[in-house]
Amino acid sequence: MPPLPLQSDWAFVAGNLDLLLAGTGVTVGLTAASILLGFLLGFPAGAVEVYGRGPLKRAVETAGVVLRGTPLLVIIILLFFGLSVSSSAFVTATIALGLRSAAYQSQIFRGALQSVDEGQLEAARAIGMGRLQAIRGVVVPQALRRSVPGFQNEFTIVLKDTSIAIVIGLGELLTVGQNLYQGGQSTAALEIFLTVSLIYFVLTFVTNRSLDYIDDHFSIPGGERA
Amino acid sequence: MSPPLLELDDVYKSYGEEQVLSGVSFEMDAGDVDVVIGPSGSGKSTMLRCVNRLTEINGGDIYLDGDCITDANTDVNELRKQVGMVFQDFNLFAHLTALENVTLGLRKVRGMDKAAAQEKGYEHLEQVGLLDQADSYPAELSGGQKQRVGIARALAMDPKLLLFDEPTSALDPELVGEVVEVMRDLAAEGITMLVVSHEMGFARSAASDIIFLDDGRIVEHGPPEQLFENPQAARTGEFLSRLTHEGE
Repeated sequence: MPPLPLQSDWAFVAGNLDLLLAGTGVTVGLTAASILLGFLLGFPAGAVEVYGRGPLKRAVETAGVVLRGTPLLVIIILLFFGLSVSSSAFVTATIALGLRSAAYQSQIFRGALQSVDEGQLEAARAIGMGRLQAIRGVVVPQALRRSVPGFQNEFTIVLKDTSIAIVIGLGELLTVGQNLYQGGQSTAALEIFLTVSLIYFVLTFVTNRSLDYIDDHFSIPGGERA
Repeated sequence: MSPPLLELDDVYKSYGEEQVLSGVSFEMDAGDVDVVIGPSGSGKSTMLRCVNRLTEINGGDIYLDGDCITDANTDVNELRKQVGMVFQDFNLFAHLTALENVTLGLRKVRGMDKAAAQEKGYEHLEQVGLLDQADSYPAELSGGQKQRVGIARALAMDPKLLLFDEPTSALDPELVGEVVEVMRDLAAEGITMLVVSHEMGFARSAASDIIFLDDGRIVEHGPPEQLFENPQAARTGEFLSRLTHEGE
């Protein structure tokens, strides 16, 4: 069979749009699961770094340093092929992205918690609130607002980094794109990658706008933007 | 005879090598308004913070209504329900409205339901003249208004004793008056107040006693007439004359 002529082939992209959209679904699902796992682990980790002490604090700090210092590609390969934490590529990718995101989210929340001035915590204690009660009722609500911009950043990073799951064969957006032209049915690599990029762009754009809205909605009247 | 409302008995406090309070003793009765004066670094704020145990003492005892509150087994949260504090920097909860600032303790500490807490909250905002600002957030208030919310927040807990830590020091001069006026009203209502402040007008007119603290020790303790007109210690006269000159 002679090589296919090099010409633009958007019809091929359009014809396979259903596959690309299915991949997009996986990407969105993986992002949501990873961000959620990262939040569930990262928020308490940030709180421990600010308010904790002793071995727990040291353990959390060390885990953070290790995770932030290891390439995501290494984490995901290690978890899937080395430790075989799960036979499901989706679950493994979620754990890898979630752990890495937790390490970054912990720093977003740590900074936000520390930015709420100590005096408010003291004032809460002075009316008889317990330490945990004061942190929960006074510091955390303000820290969450202040962490939105950092969180926005983290969200878009995780969204795009889901593409690394290609190395363990998860059928997310980039994998689907690559399979389409590697199958030899088309040379429309450029068209496919442009389309894939556009989808990533739309996703990050929509996410950022949504978080902007949350930022505005919860901002404190008269004060700094949330 | 009932015990004094507050008694400090030979209280010591140090931060490492630095001795901040060196054997401070005094008593005050219910309804008293004692004003603590002294040069910066003399230990005034530290002394105040020892009374609600935001700062822990190293020696001596503090009694509230006859009960030792510096025991290891004292429940600090119980203590703090009874001793309110007003801060130099207001320390209002930035994410809550004026009303919510006042009701947070009522709901979380006193366990009141929302409606009852709000009713009491409005009452105390009215007491400090801020009923119309109930729904404003701290960032929308002037310094003087913020401090009045701070006072209402402390008052709402119905404390036996109200501590004021330099309540007007962070205010622009033209805003001092409204806060002092509220404090004067409280004094007239018989609220027991221990006030660290250099508002000499307030000290002269509202104080039962003035305590002059220098270098962690009480140099002189007596009614305002004594300290202002006829100080017993040379150091008191020296400090007061410098203070009044600077204030003019």
